[in-house]
Amino acid sequence: MRALVLLWSLGPLFLQLFSSLVTPETLVDPGKIAGGGHWTLANYRALLGASPSFGRYLLNSAVVGSGTTALTLLLAVPCAYGLQRQRGAMRWSVMAALLGAALFPTVLLFLALLGLARRFDLGNDLLALSLPYAGLSLPLAVLLLRTAIADLPPELEEAAQLEGLDFGERVRHVLLPLLSPALASTAILVFLFSWNEYPIALTWISRADRLTLPTAISRIAGSSVYAVPYGAFAAATVLGSLPLLLLVLLFQRSIVSGLTQGAIKG
Amino acid sequence: MSPGLLEGLLMLPALLLLALVFLWPLGAMAWLSGQASSVLTGLTALPNGGANWLRLLGDGRFWQDAGQTLRFALVSVVLELLLGLGLALLLQRPGRGRAWLRTLTLLPWALPTTVMALGWRWIYNDPFGPLNALLGLLGIGPYGFLSNPATSWLFTVLADVWKTTPFVALLLLAGLQSIPLELRESLELEGAGRWQRLRHLTLPLLLPYLSLALLFRLTQALGVFDLVQVLTGGGPAGSTESLALYAYLNAMRFLDFGYSATVVMGTFVLLLLAVSLALLLWRRSQPHRRPA
Repeated sequence: MRALVLLWSLGPLFLQLFSSLVTPETLVDPGKIAGGGHWTLANYRALLGASPSFGRYLLNSAVVGSGTTALTLLLAVPCAYGLQRQRGAMRWSVMAALLGAALFPTVLLFLALLGLARRFDLGNDLLALSLPYAGLSLPLAVLLLRTAIADLPPELEEAAQLEGLDFGERVRHVLLPLLSPALASTAILVFLFSWNEYPIALTWISRADRLTLPTAISRIAGSSVYAVPYGAFAAATVLGSLPLLLLVLLFQRSIVSGLTQGAIKG
Repeated sequence: MSPGLLEGLLMLPALLLLALVFLWPLGAMAWLSGQASSVLTGLTALPNGGANWLRLLGDGRFWQDAGQTLRFALVSVVLELLLGLGLALLLQRPGRGRAWLRTLTLLPWALPTTVMALGWRWIYNDPFGPLNALLGLLGIGPYGFLSNPATSWLFTVLADVWKTTPFVALLLLAGLQSIPLELRESLELEGAGRWQRLRHLTLPLLLPYLSLALLFRLTQALGVFDLVQVLTGGGPAGSTESLALYAYLNAMRFLDFGYSATVVMGTFVLLLLAVSLALLLWRRSQPHRRPA
C-alpha cells in the first residue's frame, strides 16, 4: 500500500526527470534506451544558456519570495498579537473575516490588482509584487500566528513585566523566541505560496527578464521554438522543482506541524 | 494610552493591506462591472447602465463555463476528500519511515501548479506520452486524453487530484492526531472492528476537519485557473474552460475590462451561492449535532 502511494506521488516526478535527461528520439521511443548512449544534458544546457537564462527566473522567484515572506511576517506578528489581546466580538469578527479571506480564491482579484499596478506604475517590479502577495498571505499567516500566541502561557508575559522588561524587550526576549517554530512554519507556507503564485504574476510582469518561475514555465509551454519541446519542458519542471524539493525536505517538520497545528484551532 | 488602543494600532497596518488587496478590488470590480471599458471605448470607463450584466445573463459561454467549473470542483473535491481520508489513515499508521512517507507524499502539493501541469501535459501526450505507452503495452490506444471534448475534463480532475490530495490528507491527519488514543483503545476492547471504529469514532471526531477541508478545497477548485490554463488552455472546444480562465481571457485577450469584471463578479456570486448551499447541506446531514 505504501509503495503504491509513493509510486502515485512520485511517479510523475521521476517521469519528468527521465524525460529531461534523454534525447528527443529516445523520449518518443524509450526502447532505444537499451542501446545506450541516449542520455543527454542538452535540455538543461539550452535552458540555462537561453537569454534570459532559466537561472534568472529562479532568482526572480527567490527575490519575490523573500520580500513577501519578510513583509508578511513584519505585518502578521503585530497583528496576531493585537488580535489575541482583543476581547469578544471584536476578536471573533476579525477572525471570521480572516478565515473568509483565507478561503477566497485569489485568482478572482487579478483584474483589480492589475488596475492597482497600472495606477501606481508597479508592473514589472519584483519587490512591488511582494505587496499583493503579502496581502494575500496575511489571512493564513495571522491565523496561524494567533493560534501560536494563544498557546503561550499567559503568566509568562506578566512575569516578564514584573521583572521590569519594557514592551520592546518582552517582544524581543520572550515573545519572538517562543514563537520561532510557528514563525518558521508560517514563513515556509508564505514562501511556497509566493513561489507558486501564477495569475497575478502573469498580469503584473511582462518583461522577459523579470518573469517569475511559474510565468516563465507557462511561456515556455506556449512557445514553439523546440521541435519536440517536451524535453525542454521536463528540464524546466525539474529545475523549477529542485529548490522547493530542497526546502520541503529541509523543513518537512515545520511544514507538517504548521499546517496541522495552526490551521484548525482558529 | 488606554490598554486596548495599542493592540488596535498593532493590527492596523495588516488590516490596511488586507483592505487594499481584498476589499478595494471587490469594490472596484463591482463598480467596473457597470462600465463599458474595452478597446472600443479606448479603455476609458463609461457607465453603460447594466449592459454587461444583461450580456452575462445571456452569455452561453459564461454558463457553459459555470457548469464545467462546478463539475470540475464537485468531482475533484469529492475524490480528494475520499482519497485524502484514506491517505491520512495510512500516514497515521505507525511504522518505519513514517516521517519520510509524509514528506514525500506531500511533494506534489508543494510544487508549482504550472510546473506540474506541464508535466501532466507530457504524461497525457498523444501518441508519445507515458500513459499512451502504457496503453500501447496493453494493446489499446493511443487515446487523445486532452483532445476529446467529452472526456478531457476528467483528466484535468485527475491532475488536480494528484496535486491536492496530499494537502487534504495533511489537514485530516491533524484531525486524526487530535483523537485521544484511549478512546480508540476502549472501543477496541469493546470488540469494535476497524470499520465500526471508523464510523462511530473517527469520522464524527474528524468532522470539523473534514468541513474545513471541504470548504477550502471547494472555494479553491471553483477558482481553478493555473491548471487548466497550462494543461489545456481551456480546450478542446472550450470543454475545460473555467470561469476564472474566461475572466482572464476577457481582460487579457479580448481587452474588455468591463465585461471581465462582470464575469469576476458573476463568479463571485456563484461562489457565494455554492458555499452557502454546501454549508446548508452539510448542516442538514448532521441532525444530531448541537450548535456550538
